[in-house]
Parts: sequence; structure tokens; C-alpha cells
Amino acid sequence: MTRISTAGQHYRSLNALLNAQSQLAKTQQQIATGRRVQTPADDPIGATRIQDLARQLSASNQYLANNDIARSRLALEEQALADVSTSITRIRELLVQAGTDTVDYESRQMVRLEIEGRAQELLDIANRKDAQGEYLFAGLATLTQPFARVAGVVTYFGDQSQRMQQVGETQRIADGDSGAEVFGRIDEGNGMFVTGAAAGNTGSGSVSVGHLVDRAAWTGQTYTVQFTSTTDWQVVDSTVPTPNVVATGTYRSGDAIVFGGASIAISGSPAAGDSFTVRASGSTDLFSALDKLVSTLGDRADTAATKAQWRTAVDGSLEQLDQAFDRILEMRSSVGVRLNMLDVAQAAQEDAALNFETLISDVRDLDYSEAVTRLNVQYTGLQAAQKAIANVGQLSLFDYL
Amino acid sequence: MADLLSTAVSALQTYRRGLDTTSHNIANVGTAGYSRQRIETATREAMPYGNGWVGTGVDVSTVRRVYDEFVTMQSRSSTTSYEEQAAYASLAERINNLYASSTTGLSATLQKFSNALQAVANAPSSSSARQVMLSEANTLAAQMNSYATTLNGIASELNQRVTSATNEVNSLATAIADLNDKIVVAQNRTGQPPNDLLDQRDVLLDELSAKVAVTTLRQDDGSINVFIGTGQPLVLGRQASKLVTGPDEFDASRLQVSMQTTSGTVDVTKSLTGGEIGGLLQFRDGMLEGARNSLGQLAVGIAALVNEQQAQGMDLNGAMGKALFAVGGVETLRSANNTGTGSPSVTRVDATKITTSNYRLELAGGTWSLRNADTGAAVAMTGSGTAADPFVADGLEIVVPAGAVDGDEFQIRPTQNAAIGMKVLFTDPSSLAAALPVIASTASANTGSGRLGELSVVDPTNPGLRTTASIVFSSPTSYSVDGGPAQTYVAGQPIVANGWSLMIEGTPAAGDTFGVKDNSTGVGDNRNFLTLADRLGKPYLDDGKTSLSGAIGRVVADVGVQTRQAQVSRDALAAVQQDAIAAKDSVSGVNLDEEAANLIRYQQAYQAAAQVVQVANETFNTLLGAIAR
Repeated sequence: MTRISTAGQHYRSLNALLNAQSQLAKTQQQIATGRRVQTPADDPIGATRIQDLARQLSASNQYLANNDIARSRLALEEQALADVSTSITRIRELLVQAGTDTVDYESRQMVRLEIEGRAQELLDIANRKDAQGEYLFAGLATLTQPFARVAGVVTYFGDQSQRMQQVGETQRIADGDSGAEVFGRIDEGNGMFVTGAAAGNTGSGSVSVGHLVDRAAWTGQTYTVQFTSTTDWQVVDSTVPTPNVVATGTYRSGDAIVFGGASIAISGSPAAGDSFTVRASGSTDLFSALDKLVSTLGDRADTAATKAQWRTAVDGSLEQLDQAFDRILEMRSSVGVRLNMLDVAQAAQEDAALNFETLISDVRDLDYSEAVTRLNVQYTGLQAAQKAIANVGQLSLFDYL
Repeated sequence: MADLLSTAVSALQTYRRGLDTTSHNIANVGTAGYSRQRIETATREAMPYGNGWVGTGVDVSTVRRVYDEFVTMQSRSSTTSYEEQAAYASLAERINNLYASSTTGLSATLQKFSNALQAVANAPSSSSARQVMLSEANTLAAQMNSYATTLNGIASELNQRVTSATNEVNSLATAIADLNDKIVVAQNRTGQPPNDLLDQRDVLLDELSAKVAVTTLRQDDGSINVFIGTGQPLVLGRQASKLVTGPDEFDASRLQVSMQTTSGTVDVTKSLTGGEIGGLLQFRDGMLEGARNSLGQLAVGIAALVNEQQAQGMDLNGAMGKALFAVGGVETLRSANNTGTGSPSVTRVDATKITTSNYRLELAGGTWSLRNADTGAAVAMTGSGTAADPFVADGLEIVVPAGAVDGDEFQIRPTQNAAIGMKVLFTDPSSLAAALPVIASTASANTGSGRLGELSVVDPTNPGLRTTASIVFSSPTSYSVDGGPAQTYVAGQPIVANGWSLMIEGTPAAGDTFGVKDNSTGVGDNRNFLTLADRLGKPYLDDGKTSLSGAIGRVVADVGVQTRQAQVSRDALAAVQQDAIAAKDSVSGVNLDEEAANLIRYQQAYQAAAQVVQVANETFNTLLGAIAR
């Protein structure tokens, strides 16, 4: 039998009471805050996990914000590119309309004026800004106006870089394209070579833009088609010393002349000594192509020879517009792909954020039904402890003396 | 007849003592440390008669204190253990609460800084985004400061508690010595133990063992000798020694405990265990030191990483980026015992190698050596310790003082001061270096498929970094920079020149040209901050093994685990202590019901003895009457 001292008995019941109170207080605090983990000591592993998840949740929300910014900029670019397409289509229509021999010089000037206007409109689009006042097509030099006329030539002042936005932990998407990429990377001629008539030609022969027939045979050399007489031509490779004749033939208007993998057609009546060039295409920019077009439309072209020159230039310009249109289309599809990627990234981050929230709640938050049950048990325990102190304290042998 | 009367009187006197003792017990039912007392009775020496020995009554042989040395010692040692853990846990909980919040904690603040960084990356020319980032940087630094201040506050509070606990130990020791004196005198005078004085001394010993672990040795004369630590005498008979606190050999802000004896002062800090003082010292060397150093390591890491990246970038004004954060420097502390002059100059050179340890640098036999102050393990150093060729160890560069002599010791604390000194170095938001100082371009006449890949700065101090350079390919496998010597191009390998590094994707053709030039117009450039945001989440500390957020997680987990351990063992020890006290109480405590029963018992015995007196009286009267007749 354990001997119980009076003070010990009191002390013991008091301890039980205090203990019950402290447990009850803890449960109460958990219920009041709705959180199971109040401090790291409550659940060290859980606390670290909560912090980690909260960090990832915050990162996800930032990726979503980044996504919005990239999206709004790309949407602006898409709009600008759509406007560029419309303008180019209109210019092409005008050129087709003005490009027939039947249109007289005066009517052509009317068309030229409209094309000049359209060219200015394109320049304005290329200098568009976003909501923050940053130029859309200046690369990273976003506060530098990207395109301006210097001594009559449109010059690009931006750079060739793109700004990337972090839209996922490992995913970055460019929120724009530089002006050099959009307007300055247009293939010359048909994309492989450029044809031209020599300036001193006296006949009425004009040359088509041509096309490749044998890609493997095309070496990218510069060739000259020379008319040795009105009926005979020879093709020389201008980049190597004589003898450099690669093909010869008899001329018939509109017939294909094939050499080095390329095929071109010359129509009209070239004079003996006339020559036409074929060289590998580089790239040009939209604005110099338009300038050239405008100056072509300004030509009077009233002799057979100048008419032929003019014809060749108009054909070349049409081809150039098609190339520009293709380039813009290419850029639009690239922007479209990126917008699509942003959608996917957004969905992924939204899912992730929701997931993180759920996980945080799982670790941190209180199971209310469990807690309320616990509260009831602890409440009953506290009541019992109080009753015990009150009742046992009343018992004393001295009452009977 | 006279015998009958004297026997009855002996009983009256004895039970009167019994009633007195019972009443003393009842009176002291609430006195802390009181042990119930019992009268021990014994028969008086019997008288020999021819027909046998006839008893002559009862005597009180002693008033006994009901006391069990073993359970008393148990309750004392459980108190020592409990108080140690309670002191530790109460301070651990303070740090624990500091790191409690998941929404305003360090992890959240660092992430907000990283988010603000990305907001600048979204719109590098936006001054509002830059302002937000700068204020997040200030918040981060302020939080580091506030954490460090709280930890320093705990350290100085701990000093105060050590001092006051030491003073209490001293006054308890003096009181015990006084009681020893009184007990010896009282015992000599009566030959009987002075129970109440013994109880009082036990109470003082209980109180003493709540402060520090003690061992006691009972002497024959009734006094008790008290020893602390590894056998240092605190009380010897009526003599008490004194504990004093004084500055640590290296760090004056850190108190050491020494004992003043007749033979001099002995440092007993290392040997003091148990009780409040033991808990405080254990907490200071363990959790507090760890928490301060890991916070410092974090501050060093954040500042170094951000500053490194700032240095590689270009700000909105076109200037090279400058450091955003400053942190407190490395502390080097001289030993007070050093006879040489000067202190080593120690700088951090590689934040990724900085540890949370403190170090001890010492000159012995003409050779400098470095030890880990916590584990005592030797740390290898390279270099020779001169300014031209400093010692390098664990991310530190150490230049030793010329005036040092053999036997000199220094303490090096690489991280402890870092967090409290963390601050933001500039207020101009345009100084945030979101951009790279260089930009690459492709010549429009290029015919190959080579496209620009990633351009990065490898040496921001290269004087030619921002000069325009052109890379010309003479063939798909050979290039030259600015007309320099031909170099072999290997696909997938960067071209490095002038402090930058450029990747080319695809295959360049002969004659293709790429350019790298100054990017001072690149106000919309976010490349440097994209890299910074990326690096903030990548492993960096601990030799590139732990990310900054990982380090925060580790700090939080450490604090949580240590606090929980302290709480769990405190609660367990509280139960042990309660049991030990209950066991002691069970032996020595007063039970009122028991005393009531004793009261009845002694009263009845007293009444019976009185009745005997009456009988003796009547018997005597009967005899007198017979004679008178």
C-alpha cells in the first residue's frame, strides 16, 4: 500500500488539473486557428514540408503572373502581325493591279501613292509599343525606337535578341520577336536565287523569278545568261575564270533555261549582248523591298528596253512580297505556337498551385471532427479532475472528532 | 504504590510528547520540505524482584524524522534533470516561435524576393517593379536582422540568467553552510538530531539541485559537504565557496562560471551539468550557437549569390551591376591569454564552402593550425598565411598576424555576425542589374544554319567585355575573333572571348559572321535576372549541395526537432520528478487522517494513564484509610 500524504494528494490532483487545462488550451488554440501545426516543434517534418510547399505555391503563382505578361505581349505581337499581313496583301493587290502593261503611268502613280501610305503604315506597326510603353519589335532595346528612316533608308536600331519569360520551373517562353527577325529576315528572290536584268540591256527580254529543279546541283554560284546573238545564249559561272561556260542553247521566248540546278525563263526579244544575272539569295528587309517597289512604280518605262527592265522588277517585287507574307505567316505561327504553349503551361501551373494548396492543407490544417472529439474528451477530463479535488478534499477524519 | 504513580506519570509524559509531535505534524502539513515526526517509545528499565522483573513505565527515546535518504536523493536528481531540460526547452521554444510562421517566415520572404525579381524580369524597364524588388530586398535584410537580434537577445538574456542562477547558488551554499553549523551545535548539545533544521537544509539542497547538479556527502557530526561539477567543493562543513561569472577567454560577451577557492579561481563552466545552469550552458553551446551560425550562413549565401549575379549584369543606366547586399564580416577573436600582438585578418572568399562551424586558429611550435571549435577536428589549410599567399580553408582566406608568438590562440567565427549586419547597399531601383552588358547578333548575309544560342558573362572584370567583337567563320569548324588567330570550332562548345561566352546552335557556313557588342540600349533585357531567379532555386551552399530554400528548410527542421526533443524529454522528466516527489512524500509527508488517528490514540493512552494515577490515588487512599481506622 502506498502511503499518501495530504499535501501530496493535493499536489497530485492539482497537477492532473493543470495538465488537463494545458491540453485543453492547446486543442482550443488549434480549433481557433484551424491549424494542426502551430510551430515547427509540433511537427518538424511537417513544418519543413509546409514551408517548402508554400514556397512552391508562391512560385507557381509567380509563373502564372509571368505567363499573363508573356501572353499579353504575344497577343499584341499577334495583332501587329495580323495588321502587317493585311497591309502586305493590300499592297500585293495594288501591285498586281498596277503591274500590267495596260495601266498608264499616271494611274500607276495613284497606286504608288497608296503603296507609299501603306509602307508608312507598316513602319508605324513595326514601331508599335505595348502597354508599358516598350517597343514590341526592338529586341531587348525596348525603349529605343526600332525603325527609323536615315538618309531615306529604313534602318533598324534594335537588337536581335528576345526576352524570355519564366512560365514554369524549367520552361521559358519568348514574349516577343525582334524587328530584325520579323521584318529583316525576308528571303530575296524565290528564296534560293535572285534573277535580274543587266542595266544596259537594249532588247525587250525580261526574266522570270525562276525556280530550282535540282536542289543537289545548286551550288549558290553567281551565273550570267549572255545573249551572243538574238537567238543564242550561253550561261557562264561568273565566280570562276574562263573557260566558264556551263550551258548554251537556242533562244525561244518563254522557254526554260536550265543550268546548275536552276531553271529560269526569259521572254520578249533580247538583243545580242544583253545579259541576265542569277545569284544566290540573301535576305532583305521589308522596308527596303517596299522602297524598291515604290521606286519601280515611279519609273516611266516607255521604251521596249525599260519596259522589260520594269517587268523584271515588278515580277521580282511580287515575289518579294510573297516572301515577306510567308515570313510574317511564319512568325504568326511561331507566336501561335507560343500562345498555345502558354496555355498548356498555365493549365499545368494552375493544377500545380491547386495541388500545392491541397497538400499544404493536408499537412497544416486541423481535422476538425477529430479535434472537436478530442476537445470533448479533454473537457470531460478537466471536469472530472475538478470534481475529484472538490470531493476528495472534503473527506477528513477530523470531521468525526 | 510510588512505582504505580511514577509509571503512570511516565506514560502521561510520553503521550503528552506524542500529542505534541502530532500537533507539530498537523501544524506543518503545509510546510514545504517538512518530514513528519514520530516519537519512538521504549520501556523504562524494569525493577528486579525475587519473583521477576517488574516494568517501570515508558520513555520517549527520540523524536524521529520519518525520512528515506534514498528517495530524497532520487527526487533531488530528478529535479536536477527536469530543471535542466525545462531551462533548455523554454529557450528552445523562443527560437521555435521565431521560426514558426509559414506565411511570414524566412522561406516566404525569400520566395517573395524571388517573385519580385521575376516581376522585374517581366518588365525590366518598369521602375515600379524595380522598387518592389528593392523593398523586398530590404524586407529580407530586415528579417535577417530581426532574427539575429532576437537570437542575440536570447544570448544576452541567457548571460543574465546564468549570472542570477550563480548568485542563487552562492546564497544557497552560504545558507547550507550556516545550517551545517547550527546542526552540528544542536546535535552536540542534545545528542539528538535537530529534525527541523535537517528538513530546512534538505529544502535548500533541493533548491540548489534545481540550479545545478550536486553530490552530497554526510559527515558524522551531522554536517553535509556539497560538491559540484567534477568534485569541486561548494560547501565544506561551515565553509561555502563562491561561484563567479566572468568573460570567456575569447568572447567577453559570453560568460564563464568559475569557482573561487582558497587556492585560486578555477573555471568550472565545462564541468557544470544539470539544473538550470547546466541547461542554459548546454543550450548556449548547442542550439543557440547552431541557430546563429546557420542563420549567418544563409545570409552569407543569399548575399554572395545575388551579388555575384549583380556583378555579371548591367543596370538600367548601362553601368555594370554592383553588390545589392552587405553582410557582417568574419569575427576574429583573440584569446585573453595571448602574449603576442595582432589578430589574423580573415575574409570569406567562397560562400559555397562556408560552414556553420566556428574555428580555433593556433600557433604552436612555429606552425599555424586550424581546428573546428565544436568538434576539435583539425581542418586542412592550403597556402602559407601571408597576405600574398593566405591560408585557405573552408571558404575562408586567413592572413596571420606577424606579431603572434607561440601559444597564441584565436577564435574565428565565419558566420555568426553575418545576419545582423545584412543590409541593402543601394536605394536607386535602376541599379538592379536585370540586363546582361553584352548582346549578340547574326549578320543578315549569313548563309549557314548557325543561330545565336545563350550568351553569358564569365568574367565581368574583363576590360574588353563590352567592346564590339566580331566572330568570323572561315569554315564550319574554324573561326577567329576580331581578326585574331584561327580557332577550332566544336559544335556544342561555347566561343569564349573578352570575358563572355557565346553558344552557337546549328552549323555556321564559311564567311558567316556573328557579333557581340555592348548592350547599353538593352533596357528591356531580363537575361541576368532570369539567371538569378533560376540560381536562387538551385543548389548553392555546402559546396553546391544545398539550395538557399533547402538551407532554410534545414534550419526550420533542426529547430523543430531540437525543440520537440527538449519538450518531450522535459515532459518525461516532469513525470519522473513528480513520481520521485510522490515517493518522497509517501514516506515523509503528513497525512491528516493518520495524524487524527494518532491524536485519538495518544489521547486515549493519555486518558488511560491519567486513570492509572486515579487508581494509584484511590489505592493509596484505601491504604491510608485502613491505617487511620
